Amino acid sequence: MSVRDRARRALERLVDASAAERALISLASIVLAVAIGTVIILVSGRMTSCAEAAFVLTHPQPFGFPQLFRMGFCYDPVLVFDRLFIGALGDPLTRGWGPLSPFTGGQINPFRAGYDPLNAQMATTLKETTILVFTGLSVALAFRAGIFNIGSQGQMIVGGLATAVSVLWASSLLSGLAGTLVVIPFGLFIGALFGGLYGAVPGALKAYADANEVITTIMLNFVATGVVLYLVRDVFKDPDSFANQTVPLPEFALFPAIFFPGPSGFSIVALAVAVACVLALYYLLTRTAFGYDIRTSGIQPEAAEYGGVDAKRTIVASMSLSGALAGIGGAVYVLMVLGNYQTGVPAYGFDGITVAILAGNNPLGVTFAAFLFGVLKSGTIVVQFSTDVPPQLVGVLRGLIILFVAMPEFFRLIGRRVLPAEPDRPGGTAVATDGGREHASSSRDETATPPTESAASGGEDR
Amino acid sequence: MSTPAVELREITKRFPGVVANDDVDLTVERGSVHALLGENGAGKTTLMNVLYGLYDPTSGTVAVDGEERSFDSPRNAIDAGIGMIHQHFMLVDPMTVTENITLGNEPRRRSGLSRLTGLSVDRDRAREEVVELSERFGFDVDPDARIEDVSVGVQQRVEILKALYRGADVLILDEPTAVLTPQEVEDLFAVFDELTAQGKTIIFITHKLGEAMTAADEITVLRDGKNVGTVDAAGTTREELAELMVGREVLLDVERPPTDFGDEVLDVSDLVVTDDRGVRAVDDLSLSVREGEVFGVAGVDGNGQSELIEAITGLQTPDSGVITLEGTDLTDRSRRQRIEAGMSYVPEDRQDQGLVMDYDLVENGLLGSQHQAPFARRGRIDWDEARDHAESVIGEYDVRPPDADTDAESLSGGNQQKFVVGREFERDPTLLVAAHPTRGVDVGSIEFIHERLLELRAQGVSILLVSSKLEEVQALSDRLAVIYEGSFVDTVDPDAVTEEELGLLMAGERPDSADDSAGARDTAAAAAADATTDAESGGDGE
Repeated sequence: MSVRDRARRALERLVDASAAERALISLASIVLAVAIGTVIILVSGRMTSCAEAAFVLTHPQPFGFPQLFRMGFCYDPVLVFDRLFIGALGDPLTRGWGPLSPFTGGQINPFRAGYDPLNAQMATTLKETTILVFTGLSVALAFRAGIFNIGSQGQMIVGGLATAVSVLWASSLLSGLAGTLVVIPFGLFIGALFGGLYGAVPGALKAYADANEVITTIMLNFVATGVVLYLVRDVFKDPDSFANQTVPLPEFALFPAIFFPGPSGFSIVALAVAVACVLALYYLLTRTAFGYDIRTSGIQPEAAEYGGVDAKRTIVASMSLSGALAGIGGAVYVLMVLGNYQTGVPAYGFDGITVAILAGNNPLGVTFAAFLFGVLKSGTIVVQFSTDVPPQLVGVLRGLIILFVAMPEFFRLIGRRVLPAEPDRPGGTAVATDGGREHASSSRDETATPPTESAASGGEDR
Repeated sequence: MSTPAVELREITKRFPGVVANDDVDLTVERGSVHALLGENGAGKTTLMNVLYGLYDPTSGTVAVDGEERSFDSPRNAIDAGIGMIHQHFMLVDPMTVTENITLGNEPRRRSGLSRLTGLSVDRDRAREEVVELSERFGFDVDPDARIEDVSVGVQQRVEILKALYRGADVLILDEPTAVLTPQEVEDLFAVFDELTAQGKTIIFITHKLGEAMTAADEITVLRDGKNVGTVDAAGTTREELAELMVGREVLLDVERPPTDFGDEVLDVSDLVVTDDRGVRAVDDLSLSVREGEVFGVAGVDGNGQSELIEAITGLQTPDSGVITLEGTDLTDRSRRQRIEAGMSYVPEDRQDQGLVMDYDLVENGLLGSQHQAPFARRGRIDWDEARDHAESVIGEYDVRPPDADTDAESLSGGNQQKFVVGREFERDPTLLVAAHPTRGVDVGSIEFIHERLLELRAQGVSILLVSSKLEEVQALSDRLAVIYEGSFVDTVDPDAVTEEELGLLMAGERPDSADDSAGARDTAAAAAADATTDAESGGDGE
């Protein structure tokens, strides 16, 4: 079998992989990324100079066996990955615990004594996760409709500023618990509205002016950044501050920091809103006629049109919805993390693209992909605090993990587009096929050239 | 008896999960025409691809002129004197007939400086050789014409000449008549006679009984990858062949009981549709279909049928004209509104339009009804209802495998078509627009689909039937219109009209001048050829 055939087979298997298989593939990818990351850490640890080795590689020396080989490294890969993953969760595990420790007289409970899952580091992880769930859902929804929405970042900051300004206004009218109950949903609604409107623009441009959404959304990101910067600097600026930011919102207008120790910038309420959005979107896509329309337009626009789906309206609707989700993300970022609007919002929108691809554009998968991202982002901070490893190297490790996890999904996406067009792929049924070609492609040939079967009728079927 | 030209012994060809050829023996005598008959998917093309060296057989041997051969590639097969003409021609459109025929084997100039380089093509000699070759076999081909300017029939002859130029003794033709008009088919069969008279051997693949019986000396029938019998063409009957092909007795005739037609249901007047290339594909066309009537549209593909039905079903916007259904003006209504008004549509292209390939049959059964009760209530889909519906269509229309969870993609073409037909027939329509409803479907299922169609007719459904199978439109239609270049040439009584008359009408010959002389007939044939060329390019454009 040639390399090409092998690659094809692998691609086919990837395309047909079930959700469980894909989870397993992702796990294997993380392990592989960690292995390669270890090598990188060791190599760079050899290239740096340090007073004392953080990690020493040698062989076991039973019965006083002489030491033949010993090598020191400046960075300890075990520690780095321990901090990156375990540190991000607030060190839940007992040091030295292993799966066999109950039998060797060690701890039975793997969790560290006195471990509190509601710790500050966990809060940071979940904070990142929450925002990424929104942008991830935003990109995933557009993807499902067959639209590449790169503009989640712009939609998010437009929604964020709109929320900051309107909540500031609304909070002057109300106060106390009643204020919280009214103002926060109002803020989310404003974020969704403005994000949605900003998403509708490229949607309408695509539907009615045939403009490529990739280009328009990228451009609209720049427009959003520029306009928002102008507005914050010259119109809504907090007069008491030197930074480009709006007037801080009152405490009651923000997401309450319950359970988790404040001020971590995380609220379990916001996470609940995110989870609710995940479930709502999942329901929308799988259980409603509108979701059916979106999915059908996404995978086979011609069939959607045949089935009575209004292509243009679906494009605008799904882009608006996608923008609204990003807008809610912006609102949550303002109401949970910042407490006002500040320019220089991190690239959550772009991370959302990776989150969506990682999740295979499945809303439920977005939760897990966003959590992985959250762990990596928050773990990076822990690594920087507790080791000498430079932040750039940690960035490389993070990139590697994302790359390896995203690759299979990415190949899957490509494979879905490439495979049906290729011949020599027999269908799954045990029927003899003409030319052994895939049913789809062989009969596609047949329909592509209009056969004038009238020709056959020279005395036939009479 | 002399050594057979080709002898295939115990050929088995397996693809992952599929046995395309199962222990097939085939013997073809020198100087004979041998038809390879079978349903779509019976393994005919695979078998010929094995002979032509495109596929390696899993087991079995190939012998040419009694000598056992093993071909790694078509190149080896060509060297052994085997030529294959594929269903889709492999010609370079902007090049001339001569250039196409000699392509890859051009005679080199033998004199002057260029002899040293060996790069210069001797065009004059190439042309001479082509002229000499086509005269030898009585082909009427202009060596200087460009491929894009000649008809499909001529292109096919160029393909045959190309094979002969490369020294082919055995010619394999894959579905050679699929793109030809009836007149061109006759010409092709005359070419067969000429070739066999000069000792060439012909194997042609077909799924049409009549053709096999007319043109072949011997017929081998393949079913499910197995050779189910080789018969003498002169000593067989259509019934025998059909039974061999399908494996059971088949009723070839349809009973169309006379009924009284009700009021006009569909009325199309002065319809004009421009296609993507700015050509007036439907040109000021009017038609009406009454309750319980089957209105057939016959014509060479690409004469505006697609645009006509897409305009009626709401997939294309007409430039002008009015479409009414039961008195309601639908011209500006959306596709969805038309579906809800009771319009069913079996599309031409089941793979792109009729089915979502990545969906299972439950989801596909919903296509078009996703907003309608009982499948959806207040925007919420009732998947149990959808599953029941899909399963009933699968059961009733004998879709295999009978599993609603199968993806549409993994069904064979015929089963995909059965599912689409079933879904659209079961929609309880007022108007059914059916384009090629039996395309790619086996003989047994054709019979069933025809029966169901006539049942719908008996229930008072109006049916607009477009098919490129003449016998189908003729047998099912109450009125039959022939379309040519976007308008109807004539509307005829399908029971009274002859095949020849239809053929001429399809070539655009007006009824008044149709029964003239042989000269008129030739013009008609030429026109038909042009029509098919249009059909070709139209098909590509889609």
